[in-house]
Amino acid sequence: MKFEVHLQSVALGAKTRIVELEREGSNYRVKIDGQAVHADAVQVAPNTISVLLDGQAFEVHVTPSPDGTIKLQSGPHEFLAELRDPRAWQGRKHGAAEVEGRQQIVAPMPGKVIRLLVKVGDEVEAGQGLVVVEAMKMQNEIRSPKTGRVERLQVKEGQNVNAGEVLCVVS
Amino acid sequence: MFRKILIANRGEIAVRILRACREMNIRTVGVFSEVDRNALHVRLADEAYAIGLAASRESYLRIDKLIDVAKKAGCNALHPGYGFLAENPALPRACSDVGITFIGPPAEAMEAMGSKTAGKQLARRSDVPTVPGTDDSLENPEEAQSLARTMGYPVLLKAIAGGGGKGMRVVPNDAAFAAAWRDAASEALNAFDDPRVFLEKYLIGPRHIEIQVFADAHGRVVSLGERECSVQRRHQKVIEEAPSPVVTPDLRRKMGEAAVRLARAGGYVNAGTVEFLVDADLNFYFLEVNARLQVEHPVTEQVTGLDLVKLQIAIAAGHRLPFAWESITPRGHAMEVRLYAEDPDNNFFPSPGHILARHAPTGPGIRLDEGVYEGYTVPMEYDPLLSKLIAWGNSREETIARLRRALDEYTITGIRTNVSLFRRILAEPEFLKGEIHTKWLDELLTRPRPPAVAPRQGTEEAAVIAAALWHIEQAGKPSNEQPRALAPSRWKLQGRREQRDRTP
Repeated sequence: MKFEVHLQSVALGAKTRIVELEREGSNYRVKIDGQAVHADAVQVAPNTISVLLDGQAFEVHVTPSPDGTIKLQSGPHEFLAELRDPRAWQGRKHGAAEVEGRQQIVAPMPGKVIRLLVKVGDEVEAGQGLVVVEAMKMQNEIRSPKTGRVERLQVKEGQNVNAGEVLCVVS
Repeated sequence: MFRKILIANRGEIAVRILRACREMNIRTVGVFSEVDRNALHVRLADEAYAIGLAASRESYLRIDKLIDVAKKAGCNALHPGYGFLAENPALPRACSDVGITFIGPPAEAMEAMGSKTAGKQLARRSDVPTVPGTDDSLENPEEAQSLARTMGYPVLLKAIAGGGGKGMRVVPNDAAFAAAWRDAASEALNAFDDPRVFLEKYLIGPRHIEIQVFADAHGRVVSLGERECSVQRRHQKVIEEAPSPVVTPDLRRKMGEAAVRLARAGGYVNAGTVEFLVDADLNFYFLEVNARLQVEHPVTEQVTGLDLVKLQIAIAAGHRLPFAWESITPRGHAMEVRLYAEDPDNNFFPSPGHILARHAPTGPGIRLDEGVYEGYTVPMEYDPLLSKLIAWGNSREETIARLRRALDEYTITGIRTNVSLFRRILAEPEFLKGEIHTKWLDELLTRPRPPAVAPRQGTEEAAVIAAALWHIEQAGKPSNEQPRALAPSRWKLQGRREQRDRTP
């Protein structure tokens, strides 16, 4: 699993790190920003994760907020983090299992709607692009999770959207 | 001894009293308001009864309901804890009316010592020093100046009709007296149409040091030594310790004797605290009496080895204080921090809510008096005190090191706490040297905060890995809080596909 983690803290400011966790036996193989790191991470109690990083011991407490961000506490240090799975953002290119029923397509991150690729009533294939959203200077195509018909478009071109805001509905 | 005690309180102090009762083989009866059904004291009590709505005046302050529960449950005694009704003489009276023993001072002693003015009068009568000054106006400046000389500078001139700092002057020395008198009097005349002023000794950076006293019903009164509570935020104690870093054995004896004299004069019985202000020259002045068990009683317990709550119960049951306690001296050092559900980064705004996870510190020299648990929701209706973390050791340095270590171990997530405030105080050079006074913390908080300490190498990476791992493990388990769209079963999809393919 690959994640983009947006971190904020008093000591370090705002940062984005890419972390990859591949299961290997009972543990994970870890890469940060493409570099393999020697890490041993275990959830020792609910919301409490022990990390041995090259032997250096850390304990991190995780507190999720209703807005989707999570708070990470390690000793006196606190980080606010937002996590996203780049695959979910760009849509799956291969082997995506098709979902059923009426689907709300939401913005996975705050950004700006650049282009609408479909109109209400259009027939769409699973994986077809619906809306292009720009976030962090990158254009991202939001794709349909299923084959169906565009029932509703909730946004206009040029509109700013928040994470979790409904972009369109495919039924 | 009592068979059953009603605990007329909530939170950590109710739990504290409950524990003492259990050790003495006394059954406990708890009470709770509608928002406290899940509180720890209700879980731990032998019996617990609802007494009304969330607002204290509809529950914890209702003497009638408390007495009603005590009678129905067959209690022989009632412990008020601190706060709520602990210093209301109506409660001991209501108890004695129905033949229930009140674990605390008699109503008359509360009245004789409880209010500031009554306490001050009693102090003067029993030869306990009060802040020197005159309560009455002074007619001529010469008379006032000679009084100021005997009192010692600096002194404070205050308008009798005063308020808001008008007609108030600090006089640093004898040379400045005449001018200050003129200014104060004319300012008072302009502001209040009354030129009269009075004189009080001005204490520079006073320390708050209090004496724990115990009195039995047979005339013996003892002092259990002092606690220093100078670290205060807006007059609220934040850190307490025993012994005080500045109290010498001689001063301890003098303050103890003064406190005992006062308690004796007021007909005091059971646990009480006599508060003093202490100036830079170690002169002490009576402030007020707290006619109850104090929040900070554990620091005295740790340096004397006594259990003050059990002692309170024993005295209420008519037991005598052992003679040997008249010469008790503290051993080692103890310090307490008050952990509150409040946000130090947001003007100490209360932060009640759901405690998601909690890890309590343990190990040598650590005690946690707590009223919360993991999964508990801290209600918004009451004082947001979560727990009192107490450390003790052979020296003040060892105690502070233990307290720091325990604060690092203590984790509580889901709500904000003031832990970071203590990390800051316990690193301040002035605090470490014991150079504190009652305005010290308020002044500290106006200074710029020291730059955030850079986390040690790897902390950020560890946080990022933890976030990703948490996300994966969270997704892997069914969650009640955040229902997420389940991926459809592949078997089902395959079945649909096959069916569709068969359809002509």
